[in-house]
Amino acid sequence: MEWKTDWGLRGRMMFTMFLLFALYLVFVGVIAAYFGNMLFALIMLGGFSLVQYFFSDKLTLWSMGAHEVSEEEYPQLHDAVTRLSRQADLPKPTVAVTDSRVPNAFATGRNQKNAVVCVTTGIMSTLDQEELEGVLAHELAHIKNRDMMVMTIASFLSTLAFIVVRWGWLFSGGDSRNQAPVWVAIVVSLLVWVISFLLIRALSRYREYTADRGAAMITGKPSALASALMKISGRMDKVPKEDLREEAEMNAFFIIPINRGFIGRIASTHPPTEKRIERLRDLERELETA
Amino acid sequence: MGIMDTIRAVFGSSAEHDATREADPEDLFGMSTAYMTMEADLGYPNAGAAALCFSSVDSTDFEDALREVRDILEAGEAETGTTASIRMDQQGYHWVVLEDSDPEDLVTSIHFAADTFIERGYGSRLLAALFAFEKDSRYVYWVYSFRRGAYYPFAPTRGRERDQSAEFKLQSVLDGELGVEDDTAYWYPLWPESPGRHPWQ
Repeated sequence: MEWKTDWGLRGRMMFTMFLLFALYLVFVGVIAAYFGNMLFALIMLGGFSLVQYFFSDKLTLWSMGAHEVSEEEYPQLHDAVTRLSRQADLPKPTVAVTDSRVPNAFATGRNQKNAVVCVTTGIMSTLDQEELEGVLAHELAHIKNRDMMVMTIASFLSTLAFIVVRWGWLFSGGDSRNQAPVWVAIVVSLLVWVISFLLIRALSRYREYTADRGAAMITGKPSALASALMKISGRMDKVPKEDLREEAEMNAFFIIPINRGFIGRIASTHPPTEKRIERLRDLERELETA
Repeated sequence: MGIMDTIRAVFGSSAEHDATREADPEDLFGMSTAYMTMEADLGYPNAGAAALCFSSVDSTDFEDALREVRDILEAGEAETGTTASIRMDQQGYHWVVLEDSDPEDLVTSIHFAADTFIERGYGSRLLAALFAFEKDSRYVYWVYSFRRGAYYPFAPTRGRERDQSAEFKLQSVLDGELGVEDDTAYWYPLWPESPGRHPWQ
């Protein structure tokens, strides 16, 4: 069973990461030049980000109102997660359920041993077993690909830049001789923040494509995820507005984000659903013609 | 995390790499001596059954491969007396089930089936090989995990629970003779529908 490597996708991802790294170097240079005494604060912020990262599984479950469920409560769900984890060579993650009519799923956790896969009651009633397994495999692929770690590292720069834009003026006191105006550093940080925001969004979309590929190879059935995406995407439009509003904050973690009016493609964390389905269709064709 | 793991994390390709990793069936022959140890040292005789657990693929070529596995096992049945069937259980697992009172024939046939999957290019879809043993009307299994390249014991008891002391004893006695998976996070359960039945029934 052979699959062609998607070098185009990998190349674009590497280029995006390279740009983020270059941007980071520029940013560190600016900070060192203008805010010597701010470095300590930035290191503290880095520590805080680490703490948030390490407790990410519990924080996410709590904020989503999800609770862990046992084998006896949801045997079929546990069976599917166990079987797919075995195929993916992953330790079985914790399985959680959120009581919500919005059909959605997410994965969280700082590494493969401390991962959680969560589904909503809405998605379990919307999808059939094969489609649900496509979704679960997508979430397991995120865990396997270490997307939480990759995105946390990538997003750190954006967080730092935002802090400087927001609070940089507080550090402008002190020796003012031979010092360029502090607003120059703030403007540079603003540019860094905007550019890194867009680059991180692009990286997030690429990670979604790789998770879709991973899901297709775990299930051996690209059509399962494609069909699930179509159903979820269609069902989103019918869910009452209140449910959608409550969960919009967690968009980046979802298998399909909730629409909030118009969002430009460059600011979206997920590729368009039709493009994801198109790529899955290519994989299905590859299965039959290999 | 090794250097290759890091590179795959950067590319986001860990899931596709590991889900499509090939299998090596030669480890299965380790069961020949394990059957003797299980009976002589631990009082667990062969329960007369072994099974291959696999993931399906949505393609006509995979259907052809399954037909070939079935044909090969039917031809082998005339020679060894090992009966074979292919089925799917309630939990979505797919199985090649072999039945024979002779452990040697079970090991030979299950290797034959696994090797056929691999030659057809579907070694990555092999999940596990199960070897059943029985004592006091209860089954225990040695499970070979193709993805991990290692064995682990599985002793289901009532209601989706495991007999951990039995598993510990099996591991203690056969570790070294079989390559046993050290990390129990990879000792995945394969629950039977009810006590006294096999996972594939």
